[in-house]
Amino acid sequence: MIEVIDNLVQIAVTAAAALGSAVAFGRSRRQEWFLLTCFYGTFALGGLYWVLYLLLMSRTPQIFYVSDLCWAATFAFLMTLEISLPETEEERRFRHPAMWLAPCFCVPMLIFFMRWGDYAMNACWCVLSGISGWFSIRGMLYARRQQGQERERQYFHMVVLVFLILEYALWTASGFWCGDTLANPYFWIDFLITGSLAVLWFAMRRGETAE
Amino acid sequence: MTYIEYVFVCMAAPLLTAMLCTEKRNRTIFCFCIAGMGMCLLSAYINTFFAGIYHADMIQATTEIAPVVEEIMKFLPLLFYLLVWEPEVEKARTAVIVVAASFATFENVCYLTQNGAENLAFLLIRGFGTGAMHVVCGALVACGLLFVWSRPWLRAAGTLGLLCAAITVHAIYNLLLSAGGVIRLGGSVMPAVLLAVGIMALRRIRREQAQSGI
Repeated sequence: MIEVIDNLVQIAVTAAAALGSAVAFGRSRRQEWFLLTCFYGTFALGGLYWVLYLLLMSRTPQIFYVSDLCWAATFAFLMTLEISLPETEEERRFRHPAMWLAPCFCVPMLIFFMRWGDYAMNACWCVLSGISGWFSIRGMLYARRQQGQERERQYFHMVVLVFLILEYALWTASGFWCGDTLANPYFWIDFLITGSLAVLWFAMRRGETAE
Repeated sequence: MTYIEYVFVCMAAPLLTAMLCTEKRNRTIFCFCIAGMGMCLLSAYINTFFAGIYHADMIQATTEIAPVVEEIMKFLPLLFYLLVWEPEVEKARTAVIVVAASFATFENVCYLTQNGAENLAFLLIRGFGTGAMHVVCGALVACGLLFVWSRPWLRAAGTLGLLCAAITVHAIYNLLLSAGGVIRLGGSVMPAVLLAVGIMALRRIRREQAQSGI
């Protein structure tokens, strides 16, 4: 029961954020809003398929994980968003040793996750989240070196990093804890992810207002 | 037993003949028409293959295997077109829609040859439901391409992302149809509603673009 509630809350939040992003895209015509719409939209679609399957079939999908494909698309859109956000050549060329934290974290986690799930999907998550992490660290550090309004973009990158870390925590929790009760930390983390997804929209809005 | 490859030959032959009779620049559309039907034929084979491998029942085959296989197969002609000819975005969008529509047409013809055409009401629901669903999934990729076309890496990641979204929309539709009752009815009208919303949104975008002189 708690799984269905958790998923429904997540779908509601991401669908509302997708709608909000679509409206913002309609007004501003900025590509980042389109990518954010796709990010939230695919997240909501994946969740919707999962919860519908659970409710209608009373079991989880057994053969092809359609939701996983959709969530992989979510990460692909997040990655393209992080890559396409820099507007100046200076930011694109900006490098910092801290950016290596992303692959240094993702690769050992990939090896750790190889004990569960299939190798291709695990590698896919690692690459997509690693690249997103790499560019979000760069974006955050670059924004923090700026003055005035340009600093505001740092919050967006920070929330992306929080979201990525929470996703890894969620995957780890799913490997050790089972059960459809609130005693399972999986659900606490998933509610935190829902919160971070909501905050991400406002962080993007704040960064955009700054321009 | 229905020999769908014979149905394919029968449907593709007039298109092929017509293609040879038209001017060279108009032949692309016929190619995509035949490609869409060909992909539907291949999808049927691949669906059966995977269903056999995984010992899937009918529900699993329609809600888990078919959406993935059919959307990927529909995407292959477009992928070939994008990689080999590097077309303009408008041409690529038309190609996706034509492939999707011809895919749905061939699927409906196969359905008719297997189940007959006695019940018009049911066939209308099926025609507009499944037909519109394939077009919706095609349009989702096609319209999305417009906004991810600016850079090569964005085009690649965006197209794959949109394909995954199309697979999920297709899977949700099949899932609702397999449920029965009111949910099935809701599923039947879902593609038509999505199509109507999409057309309205696109018109609004075009109107705003015309007003702002883009």
